[in-house]
Amino acid sequence: MTAIVTAIVELHGLTKRFGTFTALDGISLAVATGEFLTVLGASGSGKTTTLRLIAGFDLATEGRILIDGVDVVALPPFKRPVNTVFQQYALFPHMSVRDNVGYGLRMQRVPSREIGPRVAEALDMVQLGPFAHRAPRQLSGGQQQRVALARAIVNRPRVLLLDEPLGALDLKLRRAMQLELKQLQTQLGITFIYVTHDQEEALTMSDRVALMRQGRIEQLGPPRELYDRPRSRYVADFIGETNLLPVTVTDRDPAVVTVAGPAGPIPVHVAPVGADAPRAGAQVWLSVRPESLTIEASAAPWGAGSPGVGRGRLNRLPATVRDIVYAGSVVKVHAALADGVTLVALRAPADPPVATGDAVTIGWAADRGVLVVD
Amino acid sequence: MAVLLLLPYALLLIQSFWRLRNGTLTHELTLDNYRRLFGTRLYPATILYSAGVALRVTVISLVLAFPLAYVLAFKVRRHKTLLYMAVIIPLWVSYLVRAYAWKIILGQQGILNGMLMSMGIIRAPLTVLLYSTAAVVLALTHIYTPFTLMPIYAVLDAIPASLKEASQDLYASRWRTFIHVILPLSLPGVVAGCTFAFVLSMGDFLAPQLLGGNDSALMVSNLVWSLFGVAYNWPLGAAVSVVMLGLTLILLWVAGKVEARGSYGGDARASVVDYAAPI
Repeated sequence: MTAIVTAIVELHGLTKRFGTFTALDGISLAVATGEFLTVLGASGSGKTTTLRLIAGFDLATEGRILIDGVDVVALPPFKRPVNTVFQQYALFPHMSVRDNVGYGLRMQRVPSREIGPRVAEALDMVQLGPFAHRAPRQLSGGQQQRVALARAIVNRPRVLLLDEPLGALDLKLRRAMQLELKQLQTQLGITFIYVTHDQEEALTMSDRVALMRQGRIEQLGPPRELYDRPRSRYVADFIGETNLLPVTVTDRDPAVVTVAGPAGPIPVHVAPVGADAPRAGAQVWLSVRPESLTIEASAAPWGAGSPGVGRGRLNRLPATVRDIVYAGSVVKVHAALADGVTLVALRAPADPPVATGDAVTIGWAADRGVLVVD
Repeated sequence: MAVLLLLPYALLLIQSFWRLRNGTLTHELTLDNYRRLFGTRLYPATILYSAGVALRVTVISLVLAFPLAYVLAFKVRRHKTLLYMAVIIPLWVSYLVRAYAWKIILGQQGILNGMLMSMGIIRAPLTVLLYSTAAVVLALTHIYTPFTLMPIYAVLDAIPASLKEASQDLYASRWRTFIHVILPLSLPGVVAGCTFAFVLSMGDFLAPQLLGGNDSALMVSNLVWSLFGVAYNWPLGAAVSVVMLGLTLILLWVAGKVEARGSYGGDARASVVDYAAPI
């Protein structure tokens, strides 16, 4: 991967209002050259609006957009050094595949002797060479998607904007295209700004993910950071699956919280918290991923964890198995704690079997539990 | 059903080969009617004149309808349906009433003359307004512009906004986006609209009858009407009708071909780019 050194796209206090509705609420963001940045969010979170503002299809209400250090807010789309891959591809139906791909070059008045080879090269890159003379409607969805991609990259843009480009494809094709897109991006060294609502897609492909919520960036960071260190309950819940336990903060250093138990609060150790951690006494949430939970077939004594296991302390809580869901490579065990909160743990099919109604012990390493606020 | 529709045309065709002898219809077959039709200057000249009027109506309707349809489809956000209805509603008013309205506006004692006189622009009423080719073209344009607009609006409105955005994203200015994307995609609607205007006004009867004057602005329909109704020469009238029908069918066939070629389904190799690239 090329070294990430300078910002190619900078957003400063970008705001977009439609009437009284604020679609984008003053977001600031710097995208590094060559980076694969994913803007992730539910529908209505402002992710597509962000992309449309960068492309120039909509005008920002407030804020600045710098591309390569130049403020482009006043420039129409055809004068911005970015290209877009549209959600529904937006191929020109009255042109062949070749004419679609060559469109941007013709509009830039690239000499026609250069257009032919460059179009052929772009089509080869997406493995559509033999389809150059077809009409878009004669192609499958996946092929149309590749044409849309070729039509954008043939212009060798500094930044490529992708608006849910795989949204219309079926799961298998989508997975294959994810890998291909990522390879293409690495190979071409083009900065990708990729909009999606699919968190799995975001985790798979991105260098960094910006998770949006109600027109703001909820958390920005590498996929692992969002997964392992979610900053809020929303992030923990949106990225992957997680178990959320209501807890009360009792101590900050070492970080200890308490979980309600039948015989009073039970202390639980959590990952070290930063300076912005909730104060003692605060009601917050403890997020533990299902794959971090272990299930022991025997009932444990009530109480906190035993010290010094693995990388940190091990928390152990008694629970009752409520449900067992077989999912091929994993078995999902739903187990209820004493106060009724149900946790989901992932187990391997080869693990010692448990049955519904069994009294078991749920355990997890202290540093796998993350405190999140609402 | 099909028989009922086609029977009158078949009868018309047969009748055009019958002979008129001493003012009586005989069932002898003859080509005399067609010989007279193409041998007399009047008939081809009338057809050409009608085509000329229809062409003018078509061009003016297109020039009026296209920008209006474009604005309606792309620029108007609110009250779109209302504005579209405003264009379409005149179609609900009887054609006869609208043709008469022009008589009232353009006549010697008409509204236009009255207004011009009261403004002091003219002293005596103008007689050239009514009973002229221009009056016929004006009335026909008024009547058939909505017919031209409807198909153009329909195709423009169906063009996804993302195609315009994609074009602009690919370095095409608004004008070049119009030339390379909007215009080629609107062609099927333009062809359909122009065909409506041309065919309908070419075969029009009322406007030339009411506004065209005695013989200066006679069109084919009026000729057919007089052959049937005044001259009682039904075979010749039928022959003129058959020729007109044939011309109309050829026109519709050509329009259909052009439409199919211009629409999305056409062979993409014959793309619009091939003949509009240098712009």
